[in-house]
Amino acid sequence: MFRRFTLAAVLCAGVSGLALAEEPRQGGTFNFTAPYGSSFATLDIQASPNTQEEFITQAIHRSLYAWDSINNAPVLELATGVDVSDDGLVYTYHLRKDARFHNGKALTADDLIYSYKRVADPKNAFPGASYVAIIKGVDDFAAGKSEDIAGLKKIDDNTLEITFSSPVNPGFSLMQNTTAIYPSNVEDEATFATAPVGLGPFRFKEHIPGSQLVVEKFEDFYEEGKPYLDRVNIILMSEDSARDVAFRNKEIDVSILGPTQYQAYQQDDALKDNLLEVAEVYTRNIGFNPKVEAFQDKRVRQAINHAINTPLIVERLVKNKAYPASGWLPISSPAFDKDKAPYAFDPDKAKELLREAGYENGFSFEVTASPNESWGVPIVEAILPMLQKVGITVKPKPVESSALGEAVTTNNFEAFIWSNQTGPDPLAAMRCYWSKTAQSACNYTSYSNPEFDKLYEAAREERDPAKQTDLLRQANNLVQDDAPVWFFNYNKAVMAYQPWVHGLVPNANELALQPYEDIWIDDTAPASRK
Amino acid sequence: MLRFTIRRILQIIPTIVVVALLIFVIFSVVPGSFASSLFSDGKTAADPQLMARLNEQLGLDKPVHQRFLTYVGDLAQLDLGTSFRTRRPVLELINERIWASLQLAVAAMIFAVVVAVPLGFLAALRPGSILDTVTMVGAVSGLSMPQFWLGLLLMYVFALQLNWLPSFGYGDGSLRNLILPAITLGVTPLALLARTTRAGVLDVLNGDFVRTAHAKGLSEAQVVRRHVARNALVLIITTVGLLFGSLIGQAVVIEKLFAWPGIGSLLVDSVAMRDIPVVQGTILVIVVWFLVINTAVDVIYALVDPRIKQE
Amino acid sequence: MKLGFNLILGGVLTALVILAGLLAPWLAHFDPVLDADLMNAELPPDATYWFGTDAQGRDVYSRILYGAQISLTVGIVSQIINTFIGVALGMSAAYWGGWWDDIVNGLTNVMLAIPSLIFALAVMAVLGPGLVSLLIALGLTNWSWTCRIARSSTLSLKSLGYVQAAQTLGYSDTRIMFTQILPNIMGPVLVMATLGMGSAVLSEAALSFLGLGIQPPFPSWGSMLTDARQMIQIAPWTAIFPGMAIFLAVLGFNLLGDGLRDMLDPHMRTRKL
Repeated sequence: MFRRFTLAAVLCAGVSGLALAEEPRQGGTFNFTAPYGSSFATLDIQASPNTQEEFITQAIHRSLYAWDSINNAPVLELATGVDVSDDGLVYTYHLRKDARFHNGKALTADDLIYSYKRVADPKNAFPGASYVAIIKGVDDFAAGKSEDIAGLKKIDDNTLEITFSSPVNPGFSLMQNTTAIYPSNVEDEATFATAPVGLGPFRFKEHIPGSQLVVEKFEDFYEEGKPYLDRVNIILMSEDSARDVAFRNKEIDVSILGPTQYQAYQQDDALKDNLLEVAEVYTRNIGFNPKVEAFQDKRVRQAINHAINTPLIVERLVKNKAYPASGWLPISSPAFDKDKAPYAFDPDKAKELLREAGYENGFSFEVTASPNESWGVPIVEAILPMLQKVGITVKPKPVESSALGEAVTTNNFEAFIWSNQTGPDPLAAMRCYWSKTAQSACNYTSYSNPEFDKLYEAAREERDPAKQTDLLRQANNLVQDDAPVWFFNYNKAVMAYQPWVHGLVPNANELALQPYEDIWIDDTAPASRK
Repeated sequence: MLRFTIRRILQIIPTIVVVALLIFVIFSVVPGSFASSLFSDGKTAADPQLMARLNEQLGLDKPVHQRFLTYVGDLAQLDLGTSFRTRRPVLELINERIWASLQLAVAAMIFAVVVAVPLGFLAALRPGSILDTVTMVGAVSGLSMPQFWLGLLLMYVFALQLNWLPSFGYGDGSLRNLILPAITLGVTPLALLARTTRAGVLDVLNGDFVRTAHAKGLSEAQVVRRHVARNALVLIITTVGLLFGSLIGQAVVIEKLFAWPGIGSLLVDSVAMRDIPVVQGTILVIVVWFLVINTAVDVIYALVDPRIKQE
Repeated sequence: MKLGFNLILGGVLTALVILAGLLAPWLAHFDPVLDADLMNAELPPDATYWFGTDAQGRDVYSRILYGAQISLTVGIVSQIINTFIGVALGMSAAYWGGWWDDIVNGLTNVMLAIPSLIFALAVMAVLGPGLVSLLIALGLTNWSWTCRIARSSTLSLKSLGYVQAAQTLGYSDTRIMFTQILPNIMGPVLVMATLGMGSAVLSEAALSFLGLGIQPPFPSWGSMLTDARQMIQIAPWTAIFPGMAIFLAVLGFNLLGDGLRDMLDPHMRTRKL
């Protein structure tokens, strides 16, 4: 949901200066790829937490807020303005008057109330429930104590008053695709899963299960003159090598690259100029479980951080498709501390620390890992010889992706390697180290440090953004010193695009999610696309 | 004949029941759960409340024996349950995918038959010739190649280097998309069929009646046409039937590699996501398909060769 | 084809795989797991790294040699389990007949109806990826043909009167099965096991591709090939050599199996499907 089509967006997208002078070309077909699985689970986006289904949402649906990729902040999408009360709890939204659903219905406050109730309904067990939980009264509604959500009040058709239970920025939650707004006049809710209806720039055309989903231009879209494209084919292609071949064959217009292909594309003169890169808000790490005695000692955890040559792994194995991590929060986070140095690769210091901790003879531990090439077994294979040199024996414990989540959230591991979301909201990211956060929620390493708790709680209450950021920066540095995890890297997402594609943006939340309404293709596109 | 057919159909029912029980047992002890698989990519923090709600909605919080009774009860009414992931009936999902699977299987089988039967025939007519040796070495080589390796090689040569064919996917369902996966899938049945054809024809050629026919002064071509072809054909047709029945189950790797939207890739994805009703449903359909084809082959065989019935 | 050709070529290829596996510690130039230097990653074949290096900077040649140990283990152990189950069930079913025969028959039909790769996939999902899981999964998967062959061979022996003769001598059932029946059915069973080794190695590769094989750092050929499929353009040797290793080993097992069958019973029909 990226409405902003700014000059900066064009520049960031690496589109040539010449293209700038061009007027966006109307019409054409865009072959987009959905790389995260070989099917769409459901077309009812409120029911799915997966990125894979968000590729559809991006075209068909809109939420109250949207993510501005250029300024890295949530912005109002379905409202033209908002009044906020002094205590920061009551928001009065003035909804767009020009927004229409694909079934012809005009957007009203009822649609938002209907949608948020549907998301919060415990019978549905929808993933967006935790996002709308910031609205006052959702717990009573979910518990069945109330028919309505107390915090949602319709003033008139175009005005909605929302009361939140704490003074958070609601944008981060209500921009989520899982809180997309559905029309309140659809009789059979089951049809949302097969024939979705939304407010977005494209309307649903057809879904060939396991193959592709097609959307067509919605003529009544509220943004003047958009979308440019007539049609978007969202093609399912989870196998990297298949995507590679298809891209080189010009069968698809964009492709998300893995490390190996990133390297190959950089070396290929025909491809290297059309790569869009962004630092995404995910931190790859190996979490240490304090149930393992050695991990209770901070020096052991630090020693591991010193013993691994992180930059080398990032350079050689991840092919620079990542930024070495210095701490928990990623580079793009406002609370990231540029001046805080990462753990230096220093095996002697690691041995020294291990000796001090009483582990000069080493110890061994298992790392529960999925097959993922960027944060799975291959990485464990790479650190294995490095840790062996300081006397630590690492054993990979391979599991399927679905079993990884279960092992970690049930605290059934010695160490795990995972990729965790650490943005865009730094407060939410740091919450994972608050001692009151359940191990199963996201405090996977059972981290507990009273000093950290103090900083985090202060940041949570702080209304001044600058001071809040400063508190979070201190908290993040504290976590870095305590080293509850091996800080591996922050993902660099890379998307290759064909030279005729314009309007892509560097979305740090998920690069593969692109604003279809801003994309256009020029005259150099193959005839089949025009 | 009718009694034989009915008996054969009744015989497959216990097999299906045992298969259904077996897969239920296997997937009730599988580690990992659908709820936790939702967070496996680490893109959103695990949400214990959501996981609990999901398990409750999906009935996974109930004890195993109770879930089993529900499963059996539904199955008896030909209801395969509701998918965890899509929240739609499993039968609907299978219906969406099975046609692509059948298309692929039919295409692979046509490829196998068109190549293997003539080769097997010629090889048998000239045993020990260069053609025979090449065919048989080729056949055993075809059986020795990892499927996805072969698929990958074809993909690179014909899609990337030569640019003749699309590399992946179903596209708009055109024949061009079908060629590479069908060839990859067809290699194993091709090899088996070439060997069977050769052996079958050799068998017939060594049979008494062929020698008699030769003795009667019929020419080589007449003998082949009148006797050998007809007798070997029975063996070939039954082999084709049996191979065809097992082809959908063998297509898993190829469907995954070529992003082909059949039930094989549906099965693999559902295993990964722990969408257990779909896993159970797809396996059952694959098994039933196999059994039905086998039974049909048996019945046809019995029609052609009535001696079978007594066995 | 001439009788000896299959047997000789198959025997030679199989012997090569066995030698590679047995002599790996002496033939290999590097440790297959620990000698990983990322600075040497993805080097093409040269005098030091005969088959080049992989993404982790490990010597592909050394890993292929050690991989032979794993492939042999997979092939042999899974076939021992298969053969044991198949022979025990098939022989006893034919010998005792009655309800036991019905049960074994039913079980065999069930196993034949579930495609072996799918059954192995399900077992692997339960046990989790790894060598031991794989041995169990493949060992439990392919015994049905062995069982059928053991059963039908035993039945024909029974009809020949061997068994009655032994029974009149007062031999126990087990003794008859082990001394009279087993030696006589070992031929076809051995053929099935040899052919089964080939399909076990192929299944290992397929399961690796589906993410449920033997996982690294073990240098299994299937997982090497799976890892390499992303690199076929920039480092083709990482895919070519493991692919060739699998192909030649499986070809060896298959030819050996065919050759053995031709030798034992020239009239036997083609390989069962």
